[in-house]
Amino acid sequence: MTTQHTRTLDRQIGLGLLVLLFLVSACGKTDPPIEKGVDLSAFPYQPKAFDLVVPDHFSQMPIPSDNPLTVDGVALGRYLFYDPILSLDSTISCASCHLPAAAFADTVALSKGVGGTLGVRNAMSLANVGYYQNGLFWDGRVATLEEQSLHPVQDPLEMREDWNKVEEKLQQHPEYQKRFRAAFGIENSLDIDRYLAAKALAQFERTLISGTSKYDFANFDWGTQQQFFTSSELRGRNFFFSEPDDPNDPHPGCTHCHTSLLLTTNEYLNNGLDEAPELTGFSDLGRGGVTLSVFDNGRFRVPTLRNITRTAPYMHDGRFESLEDVLDHYSSGGHYAPNVDANIQAFVLTEEQKTDLLAFLQTLTDQSFIENPAFLNPF
Amino acid sequence: MKKLLLIFPLGLLLLSGCVKEEETGALEMTFKANYDGTPLVMLDEYAYDGGLMMTFQRFNFYIGNVALVDGSTKENLLDIEFVDFDNMASTEEATAGYSILVDEIPTGDYAKIQIGLGVPADLNATADSDYSGSHPLARASHYWPGWESFIFTMINAKVDSNGDGLYDDSSVLYHTGSDEAYRLVEYTFPIRIEKDKVSDLVFEVDLKALFQDGAGGYIDILANTNTHNIDDLSIANQVMDNFTQSLKIVN
Repeated sequence: MTTQHTRTLDRQIGLGLLVLLFLVSACGKTDPPIEKGVDLSAFPYQPKAFDLVVPDHFSQMPIPSDNPLTVDGVALGRYLFYDPILSLDSTISCASCHLPAAAFADTVALSKGVGGTLGVRNAMSLANVGYYQNGLFWDGRVATLEEQSLHPVQDPLEMREDWNKVEEKLQQHPEYQKRFRAAFGIENSLDIDRYLAAKALAQFERTLISGTSKYDFANFDWGTQQQFFTSSELRGRNFFFSEPDDPNDPHPGCTHCHTSLLLTTNEYLNNGLDEAPELTGFSDLGRGGVTLSVFDNGRFRVPTLRNITRTAPYMHDGRFESLEDVLDHYSSGGHYAPNVDANIQAFVLTEEQKTDLLAFLQTLTDQSFIENPAFLNPF
Repeated sequence: MKKLLLIFPLGLLLLSGCVKEEETGALEMTFKANYDGTPLVMLDEYAYDGGLMMTFQRFNFYIGNVALVDGSTKENLLDIEFVDFDNMASTEEATAGYSILVDEIPTGDYAKIQIGLGVPADLNATADSDYSGSHPLARASHYWPGWESFIFTMINAKVDSNGDGLYDDSSVLYHTGSDEAYRLVEYTFPIRIEKDKVSDLVFEVDLKALFQDGAGGYIDILANTNTHNIDDLSIANQVMDNFTQSLKIVN
């Protein structure tokens, strides 16, 4: 016979065993602790529109409505652009291949990525990249700067890093926590992700406007700031832009692809670099590798000629070391392929004409763009 | 008096509620390009006058001031648009053509449609730098500062002048522009716009016809490789005149 006390004791022991069982089972769980991140709401978020200064003779830059330029967004993008934190071993930043002194292009034919791996194409200038509305990269494989910024990080020939790891690094970085908060108003460090990083990079890149070269001051109306070409520059300019009286006279016709303002049409064309009797015969398919249309094989983006004296070597693979090499290529008429652009035709180029053209191309160098302190390394 | 003051606003409100919202429909205009009756495929070979073979790389043009007309009623559809055959790389694409959809057109029966071939003078007084983004006139490739004009039509081709099967001998670069090259064409064709429906209108242009010389033959494209000289627009004007004759509504 059990007493009331004994029953109560039994109940207490039973309850204790249950609690113990629960605790033991809880100890056996393998779920990671819940990551809460860092509360950023105490840090300032006072978004202020960035005043994008566009030269009068330029059009307004199209800015996506979901990524307006802000002072803190541009500043964050600038930090990210120069920070090797985006790469696997913290050795490569965007600026490693897009050097300000080279008008944000590279000085070697093929850029080196993490571990010294060579890329497959030349790093092109980012001058006025915010105006490119017809795809980005040499083959136009992405539509927007926001999308473009995502690619080099994961490219095994470039930064070779996993975006998940980049996100972790940025989320745990006290300075970036504040900068992302200031730029995008996030509440928690875990809100930092690749898409916000890409937005910030795109904002910074849109500020890289080059429109104050001697060419700009001499070719467009600048009132009291007007500059004038030298005789040689002027002859070169006229040779570059104008058409002969006899339309059948072979002439360079540079401006068909390098138009007056951005010095590019932003189109994809075959400029006769490689011999390819059949359209399937290109070693680098270029645009065709993206569209999967054989018609586009061997076509590449027409690059801007702004700051061209700073962006050597030339072409998508950096095959030409000098502008003289480039001019010799075009005057020769290039190599045959069925889709070589109809504007590529052999023409006579005298030494004097070459000198004049080179003098004109020198005027496209925008020193104030290259040396703009707002574009330089903030670290 | 107070009651009257109350009735007036009420009456106005009821009347405004009775105002019928305009009924609208849409029109899809499809442009198809042929060469001598065959769908125009870029880089395919076509025979020119005298058996000369050529391949085309680009054919595109602006249309402006597109309007539906019925008696004294004129319904403007488009100020400017760009028709682009540059990427027609297969017979299927060429047969499908290039389509432009215009919506919110008042319903009704229209007897005519007007189309400007080129860029109307008011817009041609602007430049590509006045536009940005996806605006049809923002194309840097289609503004020519030397002419102070947009390029209205662009025809780029290569010719096998020596018959060796390679298209590396001669190019044809017929680019038209300047205000005098603008042509306004009016077609008498019944078009019904019905509420919430899309009506179709198909245009065809035969590119070979654009090379007619106006005297029963064809332009000597080896002797006249391009139309870039602003001081001599005779070929450009001929091409535009031919364009007005060649562009037809087929259904």
